[in-house]
Amino acid sequence: MNGIARTVEAVSGEPPEGTGAQKAALGSPSSFNGDKVFRWLVTAAGVGVLLLLGAIILVMVSGGMKAFETFGPAFFASAVWNPVTQNFGALAPVFGTVMTSLIGLVVAVPLAFGAAFWLTQMAPARVSFIVGMAVQLLAAVPSIIFGMWGFFVIVPLMARYVQPLLRSWFGHVPIIHALVQGAPFGTGLMTGGLILAVMVMPFVTAVMCDVFASIPAVLKESGFGLGATRWEVMRNVILPWSRSAVIGSVVLGMGRAMGETMAVTFVIGNANKIGWSLFAPGNTIASLIALEFPESPSGSLKLSALMALGAILMALSFMALAVSRVLLGMSTRREGR
Amino acid sequence: MIGLTNGQMANGEAVAAKPAISVKSLDFYYGDNKALRNITMDFPRRKVTGMIGPSGCGKSTLLRVLNRMYDLYPGQRATGEVLFDGRNIISQAVDVNRLRARIGMVFQKPTPFPMSIYDNIAFGVKLHEKLSRSEMDGRVEDVLRRVALWPEVKDRLKASATALSGGQQQRLCIARTIATRPEIVLLDEPTSALDPVSTARIEELLDELKKEFTIAIVTHNMQQAARCADQVAFFYLGELVEMDSTDRMFTAPKETRTQDYITGRFG
Amino acid sequence: MTQNDVADDVQPSIDGWKVNGSLAMRRQIMDRTATVLSLVATGVALLALGSILFTLIIRGAGGLSLVTFIHSTASPGSNGGLANAIIGSVIQTAVSILIGAPLGMMCGIYLADYGSGWMASTTRFVSDMLLSAPSILIGLFIYQLLVVPTGHFSGLAGSVALAILALPIVVRTTEDMLRLVPISLREAGIGLGASKWRVILFICLRAARTGVMTGVLLAVARVAGETAPLLFTSLGNLDWSVSLNRPMASLPVTIYQYAGSAFDDWVQLAWTGALLVTLGVLLINILVRVGFGRKGA
Repeated sequence: MNGIARTVEAVSGEPPEGTGAQKAALGSPSSFNGDKVFRWLVTAAGVGVLLLLGAIILVMVSGGMKAFETFGPAFFASAVWNPVTQNFGALAPVFGTVMTSLIGLVVAVPLAFGAAFWLTQMAPARVSFIVGMAVQLLAAVPSIIFGMWGFFVIVPLMARYVQPLLRSWFGHVPIIHALVQGAPFGTGLMTGGLILAVMVMPFVTAVMCDVFASIPAVLKESGFGLGATRWEVMRNVILPWSRSAVIGSVVLGMGRAMGETMAVTFVIGNANKIGWSLFAPGNTIASLIALEFPESPSGSLKLSALMALGAILMALSFMALAVSRVLLGMSTRREGR
Repeated sequence: MIGLTNGQMANGEAVAAKPAISVKSLDFYYGDNKALRNITMDFPRRKVTGMIGPSGCGKSTLLRVLNRMYDLYPGQRATGEVLFDGRNIISQAVDVNRLRARIGMVFQKPTPFPMSIYDNIAFGVKLHEKLSRSEMDGRVEDVLRRVALWPEVKDRLKASATALSGGQQQRLCIARTIATRPEIVLLDEPTSALDPVSTARIEELLDELKKEFTIAIVTHNMQQAARCADQVAFFYLGELVEMDSTDRMFTAPKETRTQDYITGRFG
Repeated sequence: MTQNDVADDVQPSIDGWKVNGSLAMRRQIMDRTATVLSLVATGVALLALGSILFTLIIRGAGGLSLVTFIHSTASPGSNGGLANAIIGSVIQTAVSILIGAPLGMMCGIYLADYGSGWMASTTRFVSDMLLSAPSILIGLFIYQLLVVPTGHFSGLAGSVALAILALPIVVRTTEDMLRLVPISLREAGIGLGASKWRVILFICLRAARTGVMTGVLLAVARVAGETAPLLFTSLGNLDWSVSLNRPMASLPVTIYQYAGSAFDDWVQLAWTGALLVTLGVLLINILVRVGFGRKGA
């Protein structure tokens, strides 16, 4: 038994006699070393990526240490950003970041869902390929282009039509009127959110398309087999089946929106304040860093405050990614079952 | 091929009663690929029609024509006649949603929806009828009893259907299909993913169901066809080779191809 | 047969095709509404893309002249171009790919062929983390790491920042593509007596080269349009400079600086630069997607 096993091993494990020359050419001792060196190299690359992220976090946190130490927990609760008095707080940019991202998602998610529904369930294959590609091209447009487009096309539209219209509609409605207060400059939280919506929508659409396309055809057919319409199959079969993955895609979009810099910087209005009006100018962590950095010499408290904000942004986007990974992972696991 | 005329003649007895569905000169295409050639056959009312043949012979394709499931896929089309309740359902204007409620389908693998056992059944019913809460409860209990699932699930109707065993899931899918009160039930190899015990229970169930429904069942399993079907149709390479009562098909098939397949020489 | 036909026609079932009127109506309205709304949603995305391209062409095409390509940026009214910004973008993108792509491929090979257990899954997660990390933070990071110690902004710092953005894209595609290489191909290589590293480099990577190239091209498209990480690293340069050791101009940063300016010719250059960047990035994307789509089909 043992002998046979060893023979088989010898036959399959080593090249037949005929390739002896080739074996010599490759050289078994040197190829053994090559393997070792190669394994070491690629593992180092893998570890390098780990260290890279570690270094980024370390640099952000240590860079922000001065600000954290100077202001303590009040840093998170203060909305002041005053370089003259050297008093800095994170609340306004964090508020702006969360608000613009939320506005962006509220607009982007229904659009992405609709587009994914149409692309995966209704459009003929060829049309779906071309339109799907166009939607993905939107995701490839550089951030700064969205900024210019937003500033030169969307901001005038908002100032001339959308904001005055919303004010005349809701200006006298209790509670809601607070959302539409302020002069219609065209910039502000709402415009920032809308630009983010356009930027994030293709990402969310892509993930939703993948999820909807991965549902077993026979499950869908069972729905149709009972006489359900496309919408009923979507609503009652596909959505429940892919719920966690859909939420995951939304959170992923949230992460994208929060880190966006250039596009928002052009249209947010750049004012460090917290207000409920959607037309009021504001800022986000990323836009504040982009704008304030040039006037923040190395080693200054202001730069430290910016780094601290960077650490907060890092933590926010890390959480978003982790949550979306868990949610997306839940659906792949079920798929595999 | 020429054999077709023979097959057609032979089922003279089977069509004596008014058929539930009558297929005439049906061709079916996947793009440019002809998958069904000149099929003509009847599905007699309240009988079980078994459809056998090697993989890719077109038997499942025919099933998917009967409830127009092929509509979902661009590039697939059918020509000819499929007469059901006075209409040619593949050419005339037909409300496909209504059609699919009247011609229900059960698939190869159990396909419970990701919702509760109760909702799995109520879903299809709600699409077509407005029932009160108690009527719906009654309907759910009724169909679950008929598939002999009631004793097993009556205490956990709100539990997720995906937690049931494979055999239970398939019986739930049958219950879900008959809950919409169809006239015809199409079964596409309903037991191929199940163990022998679950298979036996589903076969028993078919005997019950045929008292009320017209049944078309596609199967790979020759014994299953022999046990369950009243008449059997043999398909080969997109053609209906022969169709006859089950007894005659398995004892005295007219075509040599049928004989070869039944005796296991190919397929 | 014909008789049966007649029989069917003569006595159709009483209510077979009839449907519950109000329920059916409501269902149909719901379905139609959903269909229309989903079309509208898709239309909004297409409209946005169309509007962006239209705006870029209308405002940017006017500045496409030889001067734009051969003159460097200059003070307002002195007939400046974008030559230094274009060459700066090309150099920084190229250097960033030269750094990021090999590292990314090695990391991808590690994940596909060597990594296992928590170590590999952590590396994969971290790579995804880098993929979605806000790019401005990468700029801050490189500022602290390379600019502060050397005391000056440099094209190299910009390239390294871009390399960090390119890296995870290459990691992801390399791993995915290597996993698609059939096991039999590996076994065939091993069976010939080739060592593992040769099999990976010369057989697997070769078999997956189209896919890996796709990843590299997508990385090029991504970093070529990045602005935020360059603001704090290569800063920008008003003059012609190809030295990696000095501040270096780039198209996105020049666009950023010029777009908000009060001078018409600068704003024109910003639009022209925006048109160039967008066309370049979109062309790469179309090439990759159409090429890859055809291969997939």
